[in-house]
Amino acid sequence: MNDIMSSEHTATNLQGPPLTQAPAGPKPVQGLFKRNPPIAGEAEAIEAAKTGDPEAFSKLYALHKRRVYTLCLRMLGNVSEAEDMTQEAFLHLFRKIGSFRGESAFSTWLHRLTVNLVLMQLRKKGLQLVSLEETINPSEEDAPKRDFGSRDPHLTGSVDRVTLERAVASLPPGYRMVFVLHDVEGYEHNEIATMLECSTGNSKSQLHKARLKLRELLRESGQTLQPAVLKEAVR
Amino acid sequence: MTEQSLTVISCAEFQDHLPDLFANANGVPSDPALKHHLDTCENCSALVRDLQYIADQARMLLEPADEEPSDDVWSGIQHKLDSERAEALPTPPLPS
Ligand SMILES: [Zn+2]
Repeated sequence: MNDIMSSEHTATNLQGPPLTQAPAGPKPVQGLFKRNPPIAGEAEAIEAAKTGDPEAFSKLYALHKRRVYTLCLRMLGNVSEAEDMTQEAFLHLFRKIGSFRGESAFSTWLHRLTVNLVLMQLRKKGLQLVSLEETINPSEEDAPKRDFGSRDPHLTGSVDRVTLERAVASLPPGYRMVFVLHDVEGYEHNEIATMLECSTGNSKSQLHKARLKLRELLRESGQTLQPAVLKEAVR
Repeated sequence: MTEQSLTVISCAEFQDHLPDLFANANGVPSDPALKHHLDTCENCSALVRDLQYIADQARMLLEPADEEPSDDVWSGIQHKLDSERAEALPTPPLPS
């Protein structure tokens, strides 16, 4: 448990001082707790749902709908597909709830199920996420450019949620998937590799490319960016 | 451990190591050549800072439960569950 918590997002030391101060309230809930917050009344609802109690289904839906829907929306990038997928996920859940043994947290179980359904959907649409680097890669022109010392402005640290959400939505699906699973949902590379049936190296490189691409997209979005020099001058 | 003993690497070589560096549990490049490049190359250190910043912002700004599905989703689920239940039930005897 400690291991998972401490190894997550620990690249912080790579950088110098952070561009912006993180809000004082720490967000240590990344990883296990962010993914599996304990929910009051959940265990009872699960047991009742196993007996087919419609009230219990309704309760489980209410407890988890936002989580599941947000994940679908971020991975699919489209409201109507995300709603269909949310519906599918809960239908699967209710059909299979009898086989839930409580070995993992319920939300982890539901989450995996959702990710698998989304992956199946994306594969059906022709997105190859399996095996080779090339297949998970977007086309060349979508790939992030290398940065070897251009005088491009650097990010200033004023990215807001809407801008970031929009940038994530415009990532190519393969990048978006890994980024959402790792940086938003807190999955580890080995877990992502298992889900996407790729190597951990592949997962790491996709994540890196996703962040590079986001950096480009955020720069292009303009309003949140100013040259680094300017930023220094303003301070 | 003089500077001359360090292998000088290019930005491209440094950046090739970034996926692993970011995933590395310590976060600090253990390879002195990488560390030296990070400490001395303004461009690559800014790149690393930006990418870390993006990751941090994603963690802070993008909550896993931000969005609410429309009510149609639940109606659809209920409808399907009801029809599945109806199919599973034995046909009621005809009224005499
Ligand atoms: Zn460099």
